[in-house]
Amino acid sequence: MIESRKRELVKEFAPRLETTSKLSKIWIGGLIAVILVGVYAFFIQLFNGHEVTGMRDNVVWGIFIVNFIFFVCLSYSGAFFSGILHFVDTPWKNAVSRIVEMITVISLIIGPIFILLCIGRLDRLHYLFLYPRIQSPITWDIMAIMIDLVACFLYLYLTFIPDFAILRDHSEALNVPNWKKKMYKFFAIGYQDTKTQRKRLNKITKAMSAIVIVLAIVAYSVLAWIFSLTLQPGWNSTIFAPYFIIAGLFSGVAVIIITMYLVRKFLKLEKYIRKTHFKVGGFILLILALLYGYFTFTEYFSKWFSHKATDSSILNTLFTRYFWEFILANYIGVLVPVVILFYKKFRTIKLITFASVVAILGIWLNRYLIVIPTLETPFIPIQDTRLEYIHYSATWVEWAMSSAGIAGFLLLFTLISKIVPLIPMNSIIDSEYAPKIKKRVNKETKEITD
Amino acid sequence: MKNHLYKYVQFATLIIALFIGFLSNAQQFDNSKYELQFNLKSSKKSDNTRLLETNFTAINNEDSKDELIISDAEIKFYNVLDDNEVLIGESKTTKSGIAKFIVPANYKYLADEEGLITIEARFEGSDALEPISETYSFKDLHLELVLTEVDSVRTVTAKAYLLNAAGEEIPVEADLYFYAGGMLSRFKLEDGFLEEGNFEYEFEYTTNLPGDADGNLNISVAIEDHPEFGNVIQMKTDNWGVPSQHIPETNKLWSEAGPIWMYIVLTLMLVGVFANFVYTIINLYKIKKEGDQLES
Repeated sequence: MIESRKRELVKEFAPRLETTSKLSKIWIGGLIAVILVGVYAFFIQLFNGHEVTGMRDNVVWGIFIVNFIFFVCLSYSGAFFSGILHFVDTPWKNAVSRIVEMITVISLIIGPIFILLCIGRLDRLHYLFLYPRIQSPITWDIMAIMIDLVACFLYLYLTFIPDFAILRDHSEALNVPNWKKKMYKFFAIGYQDTKTQRKRLNKITKAMSAIVIVLAIVAYSVLAWIFSLTLQPGWNSTIFAPYFIIAGLFSGVAVIIITMYLVRKFLKLEKYIRKTHFKVGGFILLILALLYGYFTFTEYFSKWFSHKATDSSILNTLFTRYFWEFILANYIGVLVPVVILFYKKFRTIKLITFASVVAILGIWLNRYLIVIPTLETPFIPIQDTRLEYIHYSATWVEWAMSSAGIAGFLLLFTLISKIVPLIPMNSIIDSEYAPKIKKRVNKETKEITD
Repeated sequence: MKNHLYKYVQFATLIIALFIGFLSNAQQFDNSKYELQFNLKSSKKSDNTRLLETNFTAINNEDSKDELIISDAEIKFYNVLDDNEVLIGESKTTKSGIAKFIVPANYKYLADEEGLITIEARFEGSDALEPISETYSFKDLHLELVLTEVDSVRTVTAKAYLLNAAGEEIPVEADLYFYAGGMLSRFKLEDGFLEEGNFEYEFEYTTNLPGDADGNLNISVAIEDHPEFGNVIQMKTDNWGVPSQHIPETNKLWSEAGPIWMYIVLTLMLVGVFANFVYTIINLYKIKKEGDQLES
């Protein structure tokens, strides 16, 4: 009975794995075109140096670092929720768990590429590993990102194993090329869903979920410390680590909701991704929006109240030169999601998704305001600098590479969704047959004991 | 479906075409909109050489913020007097649009009766750009700096003068700025003024400023942006600074090693995480082994 249900599920998800529609081909082609423009921009930067970007002596970090923080925080947030979901025993998690795991790994691949683009001398990159300084938050961050990447890959793979096994066992129902069938067999590593195999896989997946949650918190904090352990006004703050964690979780939930909306609409998964998922997601987003708003207010209020000259200077910059960006990031980006998600009548799928889009734009701008205005008003003013070096504005080269990063994220998501179903089949089986499986396992255990 | 597909292809093509069109427009250069800017300045250094420096750019007439830097342009520097001109040297503009040439200290300039020297920087034009030139006139001011110490009293003396045709010293009027240090930024010591008839300006040095490990400190005097003499600087080094001591730093980013607790915490964390990775891989191997046994 379970086997026939597995076959049904394979047949249900087969069209997405077997064929690529013309629309999908155009989508993939468009993404590759954007990536190629980004690659072209990268070579321009490689051959001409950072002078083709808007980064200068004062503002040495531009939108690359903003994108780095955004993607890496997205990944940590995904890892955090993915780990939590594994411990939650509820059927509705099936629809989102794989999407969250994929967002986690893909954003952790894309994010660090942006930090490499910030480095003027890429030929000296290996010095970071040859001459690491354990006192440096940069060293901590490199270690955190690399270890987190390994942990997330392992975790993603562990959750894929049962589905690879289902696809291997029912490959006759699939009209896919032989290499794909061989791949399913190879990655299924002989998993037959026996009692001991199931127990082992559950045990290591649970341990890895716990590690992934801890790693996400550590890595989040380390990323925040890169900024807050300096004396720069706007960065030197004791609450930066928890602030980053909350902001990261806020952006993570928003991206998950947007992805759920797009996947549901374009992959016709309304049966699995239902309004309940958006309501639960919206509720979590509301709580995080309130917390994020509270942290943002505390951060700027203490700066304003202290009347320190350097803090006053950065606040003055934010409320003059960056007035509209500040309003969009910290007022619109928080209040619009709160208002939409607070009132029951506004909690429709489209409005919850709209609230998420506003939240994402607000968070990205918030990151921009953390990085750029601070570098434009440094703790020790740089003397004899050129006036045009003080203010930053990104060039087309930076925008092209940033767009390529987003396109890369979408392309990887699309390609992985062509290899495994976006809804974990094994979890569907588990939720449908859990009591029966439990009964069978108990019976087998009793027989062995007797 | 076919209509939808046609719509999507059409839309995607339009977006890509607009994007590429935008990029290609951004690369076009219409030089009729730009006005060439060519500046020449000069400064006399402490070793009595003279730096000639030009800045070559083009500014958009419609948008003054749109400034193009003209690099790799050949600039020739001439010493001009009436109808005579002598080529001093030539240099190419860098990626910053700046061309520099250093005139040796013993160079004999052509000067008029009042001692006025005229330098002309000339760009002779190219296929895309019109010729342009700029002149700069100055008098060759001699600036001397003497540091003396008598009975622990340290005195800084600056002397400025012009030489006439007979080689006699002529006093000048000028503002003098005295500085110490100079690696990161200069520390201002004194502002002085040479009045008519006075060759020298002096003041007592009383400040305790950090020098290098041996206490050596740079003291300089400068005349800045003077209408007749331009920029002139003179510098001397003496043992007037407080010797900087090397104090071993601990628990700093630049210290030899981090604090012990950092190594312990990091090691514990890494051991914990990697132990989990190893545990996972061992269990995956056991799953595979059981699967292989079931298959066989």
